[in-house]
Amino acid sequence: MGAKNKKANSDAVYAKKTVKSTNPFDNATAQSAKRQNPFDVHVNKEKFKIMGRICKHDRGMPGVARSKALQKRTQTLGQQFAVKHKTNKFKDNRIGRHLSGDQLTESVMNARYLAEKMSQVRTTQKAQKFNLNDDELLTHRGQTLEEIEQYRDERSDDEELDDEALDADFTSAAHFGGDENETSPQDRQAAIDEMIAEQKRRKNEIDKEKNEVYDLTEKLDANYKLLLPLVAKATKDEQEAKPPADAYDKLLKEMIFEPRGSVTDKLINPAELAKQEAERLERLENERLRRMRAEGEDDEAENAKPKHRSADDLDDGYFVAGGEEDDDTLAYDLEGNLGTHLASKAEAKEDSGDEAEEEDGEEEESEDDSEESEAENYSDLNESEAESETEQPSKKKPKKERPQATTTLDASIPFTIKMPKTYEDFTELLSSHAALQQATIVERIIKCNDPKLDGVNREHVVKLYCFLLQYIKDLFEDASEQDIRGNFQLLSHLMPHLQSLTQLNPERMSSALLDVLKEKFGEYQKNPKTYPTLDTLIYFKLVSNVYSTSDFRHPVATPTYVFMEHILSRARVRTRQDIAMGLFVVAIALEFGSQSKRFLPSVFNFLEGILYISIAKRDADKLEVAPPFELDGPFSKLLAIAATPESKSLEQQKLQAADLVNHTLTLDFKVRALDTTLCLIPEALQLVGEHTGACYLASPFLPLLARLRLKPYPEHVQQHHREATQLVQQLAEQQMKPVALAERKPKALRLLEPRFETVYDDKRRPKMSKEKEERAKLLHKIKREKKGAIREIRRDTAFVQELKLKQQLQSDKERHEKVKRIYQEASMQQGELNELARSKKRKK
Amino acid sequence: MKRRASFEGSSLTEQNTRRMRLQANAMLNASPFDPTPLAKFILNLKQKPANIDQNDLMAVLEVIFTNLLKRESLEPQALQWDSLYTETWSLLLERIGSSSQVETQMALKVCMSLIKGEAESPVVEGDWPIGKLKSILEILINGPERTIVLKEFGKYTKCLDVLNLAIKFALELAPTGDYQHDTIKAMNYLSLVNQLDLGKAVLSAQKYHVDTNKSHRSFTYEKARKKLNKIWRGIFASSNGIDEDLHRMVLVVLLERILPHMEDPIGVTDFLMNSLHEYDGPIALLALQGIFVLMQKQNITYPDVYEKLYQMFHARVFTNKYKSRLFYLADIFLTSTHLPENLVAAFVKRLARLALKSPPKDAVIMIRFICNLLLRHTGLQKLIRGDPLAEQVTDPYNEKEKDPVKTEALNSSLWELHFLQKNAIPEVANAATFINNPLPIMEFDLGPLLDVEDSRIFDDLLKSKAKQYMLSYENTKTLALAKNDTVTKHFDLV
Repeated sequence: MGAKNKKANSDAVYAKKTVKSTNPFDNATAQSAKRQNPFDVHVNKEKFKIMGRICKHDRGMPGVARSKALQKRTQTLGQQFAVKHKTNKFKDNRIGRHLSGDQLTESVMNARYLAEKMSQVRTTQKAQKFNLNDDELLTHRGQTLEEIEQYRDERSDDEELDDEALDADFTSAAHFGGDENETSPQDRQAAIDEMIAEQKRRKNEIDKEKNEVYDLTEKLDANYKLLLPLVAKATKDEQEAKPPADAYDKLLKEMIFEPRGSVTDKLINPAELAKQEAERLERLENERLRRMRAEGEDDEAENAKPKHRSADDLDDGYFVAGGEEDDDTLAYDLEGNLGTHLASKAEAKEDSGDEAEEEDGEEEESEDDSEESEAENYSDLNESEAESETEQPSKKKPKKERPQATTTLDASIPFTIKMPKTYEDFTELLSSHAALQQATIVERIIKCNDPKLDGVNREHVVKLYCFLLQYIKDLFEDASEQDIRGNFQLLSHLMPHLQSLTQLNPERMSSALLDVLKEKFGEYQKNPKTYPTLDTLIYFKLVSNVYSTSDFRHPVATPTYVFMEHILSRARVRTRQDIAMGLFVVAIALEFGSQSKRFLPSVFNFLEGILYISIAKRDADKLEVAPPFELDGPFSKLLAIAATPESKSLEQQKLQAADLVNHTLTLDFKVRALDTTLCLIPEALQLVGEHTGACYLASPFLPLLARLRLKPYPEHVQQHHREATQLVQQLAEQQMKPVALAERKPKALRLLEPRFETVYDDKRRPKMSKEKEERAKLLHKIKREKKGAIREIRRDTAFVQELKLKQQLQSDKERHEKVKRIYQEASMQQGELNELARSKKRKK
Repeated sequence: MKRRASFEGSSLTEQNTRRMRLQANAMLNASPFDPTPLAKFILNLKQKPANIDQNDLMAVLEVIFTNLLKRESLEPQALQWDSLYTETWSLLLERIGSSSQVETQMALKVCMSLIKGEAESPVVEGDWPIGKLKSILEILINGPERTIVLKEFGKYTKCLDVLNLAIKFALELAPTGDYQHDTIKAMNYLSLVNQLDLGKAVLSAQKYHVDTNKSHRSFTYEKARKKLNKIWRGIFASSNGIDEDLHRMVLVVLLERILPHMEDPIGVTDFLMNSLHEYDGPIALLALQGIFVLMQKQNITYPDVYEKLYQMFHARVFTNKYKSRLFYLADIFLTSTHLPENLVAAFVKRLARLALKSPPKDAVIMIRFICNLLLRHTGLQKLIRGDPLAEQVTDPYNEKEKDPVKTEALNSSLWELHFLQKNAIPEVANAATFINNPLPIMEFDLGPLLDVEDSRIFDDLLKSKAKQYMLSYENTKTLALAKNDTVTKHFDLV
């Protein structure tokens, strides 16, 4: 009754009964399945097994092949033969007639159906064309759709599988007499009756159960759709049923959505600020070092990369590099941020809150012109921030050193100054004021014409810069001994403004300055043996202050370098002014090279020359000096002095501004110039001291220093002389390793395409060129194909002949039959005639 | 204001010029010839009034006289303007002798075109106005220094007839006596001879100043050469005790114009040797070039030519006008791969030392030259491919030694090039990096580098349009730099 219990379980309504297959032959293939008959197989024996050779013809089935060929011929040639000389033929015009059974898809069938329908419509009455109530039944495998739906029962199929056969207990009991120990049955008849009743009862039970299950299922199906929305609704309700928010939650929510305080509000302690500043400077310094090393130096890094890149090179770095620096200029802004995309950076910078910067930025906030469009949006923001900062004095750092001009405001100067239209107006504006006020005026013009405020101001600041350059030229071109110091003071005050102006628009300002330099160079080239006017040298100083002169190649600094080189190596040194100017240029050149540690040969030549002309020579032939200094003559002893008590007692003094304009050589100037030279020599040598080969620049100083008579000079000069001599000697004895090629990484082997060896196949072929070989191969193939084709044709003919023979035999046979029949009929006729004749005879 | 005034002045002279042209046209077109305006022009030429541009005046006179000369050839009438013509000539000659460069050139041009016009018209006796040319040359040679005008005259000596005559007159007009007595005249004379080019280009061009006249096409190279040799003998005879400038000029003339056409070139060997030994700098260099030509063409031997060449490389050479000639010569002298290595090594070291002290342009040339020498003499590559494990030494090369073979240069190494990579001028620094890489396969061609002007590097730098102008990130508040300040440390300016 286990089966019955199982059935009773309602859980197992849909459970499937596992059918275990016990038949051992289940997996065996049928007897009728395709099976090779060993007698059909013909084996071609191979004498030697050759590795790597694929043998296609080691075994064949001639019988099968022949029957296949025959079948094929009957289908093709046979058909053709059958319809030979026949004028009519069957034409298949169905859609997709070439398709076989599998390929006939639904769409093809639909198309066929549609075409059929159309042709029907066309042939039958035209009135039916618009008949919508066309009740033609659609069928699937011969059954209408309705029929299929009616008999479809998607219920599980286990019920039907219940075996009607008798179960094991019963059979063992009934058929084999049962156990001996069992209680003896009353009699056989009673047992059978009982069994029948039992069987009937069981059937009834099963039927009932089935019906119940059916009903339940029906009910469940009906109710399911009603239940479905109920389930979803319940969960929603649960959500809604939340306790009302209390005050705390409300507050919390409010606080969540409240705008957060900006980061600028955060207090930054001085230590952090210093750290940020240090980081910024370090970053800028790294940038600068990279530019300094640029081309000539890091060939190591460059060599690592392949020099040539093919057009097909897909290494994408190539494009990225081009795309990044399209037309933005890379420049520092006033805060010293380096970059092209300042708009975004500036914002971040404001967040991080550089108060010190901002403070300075009050008067010189500026950004690169690349962000011009956004600048207007930010300008008010900046102002408000600046205001808010003034309200918080506690945060302020102690002020940095700041030009006095901003603090001692002169009441006579208006706060807003319009940009003067012409240079005359500009000079008029400045001329009535003292140096400090002039600087203030310039500063205010810059502030009122900040490009951020108005687009026109872009042009204004460029104009202002040009005016200033012109102003410097006018100041220094014909400066006299009296006003030179004042002019330098003014320049000193103007310098920060010139710098900030350049930062406003590096491109325009630089090209303006370059134009001026070019003009100056042109003027100088007309007379290369004399020193240019002082203003030219002032421009050099401007370049030194404003630009990053340590770059390996710089659009402004490098031409200036070349210009200075020309002056130092060409211009004759004859007057006090020449000497002072030369030393001035030397000092600027040293500033240029102070970080890059690069040297200008003429600087050293010039310093040697100054030493040379300071030596009172009698026999000039032993010492060497390079041009522009003269070996002999009055100009070769320009700075030499005789020993006087006056010269001995001179105080230490730097070179004076007046020396740059004065022509007459005085005793104190001679001492001063020599002293400065002696100070500049170690400085110049220290720049290059670390490089291999510095001894070549140091050693020429030795004989000159040795020949210098120190007796007439004061103590400080002698002191400087000693220091210089010491350094020169130290450098001149430099020891160097022989120049050798730097160690290079071993070159990786080139990876080549694998080379395939030709396989030896024991066939001797004449050696041919590649094309010929190819041709021979093709010819061979053609030959084989031809042979095959001939064989096929022969077999075709044989087949056709056989067919013809068969036909012939058939027709012969038919004719024979006919003849036979005719003979038969004729003989019968003859028999009847004979009979008739005989009967007539008999009658007679 | 000044500029405006000068502008008005120029407009006045322009007006005058225009008026003159109109008058000249009217005069030439008038049917009975009236020479009064012509006389007025000549008077102007004589008196030089301020409001008349003398050049334009001369140009107008040129037009008038060429037209008249042409016309005269058609209708041989009375020579009404004959006297005026001779007067103009004398005035023009005078003008050639004047000090203004522009006027002299213009006058010379007018004179030459008048000569042409005269030769083409049959009116004057004697087909080529030989006398006039001679008078021009006479004026050119005498008087103040006229190198520029003589250069202008060089245009005309490209024509064979003028050349022929000029050679003839040069022989006749040669200054008598030693040159040291009249240096200016000698200089002019030498400049004139310097224009007498018998080169192949001139001879093959077959240009004539006067086209129509065939009779004076009697130029033959042989005759001209003979005369040129005679001129040289004259120069040579009188060039005793001359100063350096003249000596240099003599050498230039000898090398450029005479030596290729000399009958007996060996004869000048002594002269060249003396020049080489007694002088330094340009004269020695020119003499060396002459000797080189003789060595090449005449097979003379000169023992210590390399020593001399070696000594010519010193720091003063860079102010020398002839420095590219020196590089050129040195390049040729050191072409041979059979020279001893220690000799070439000495040259290499010397060049490298000089490159350390020279202007950028020369430094680049010398670095390239060194590279070429290293390529020619592969044994020298040990100068830049030393043993990396070797000990540190001081440079064994002896700079003071005059004999290149004894300088120990071969035991040295080219630290100079290593150091040159630190040169401030990027061109030089880049050129010197060649020692860090495998040497190039081809030699550098020095030719184009030698012709470059000194200011080229500056111009090139300005030409290349920069995208970025790096600024200093250190803000300065005064003249002094934030760090590494040198100017205010040594100058008391403010």
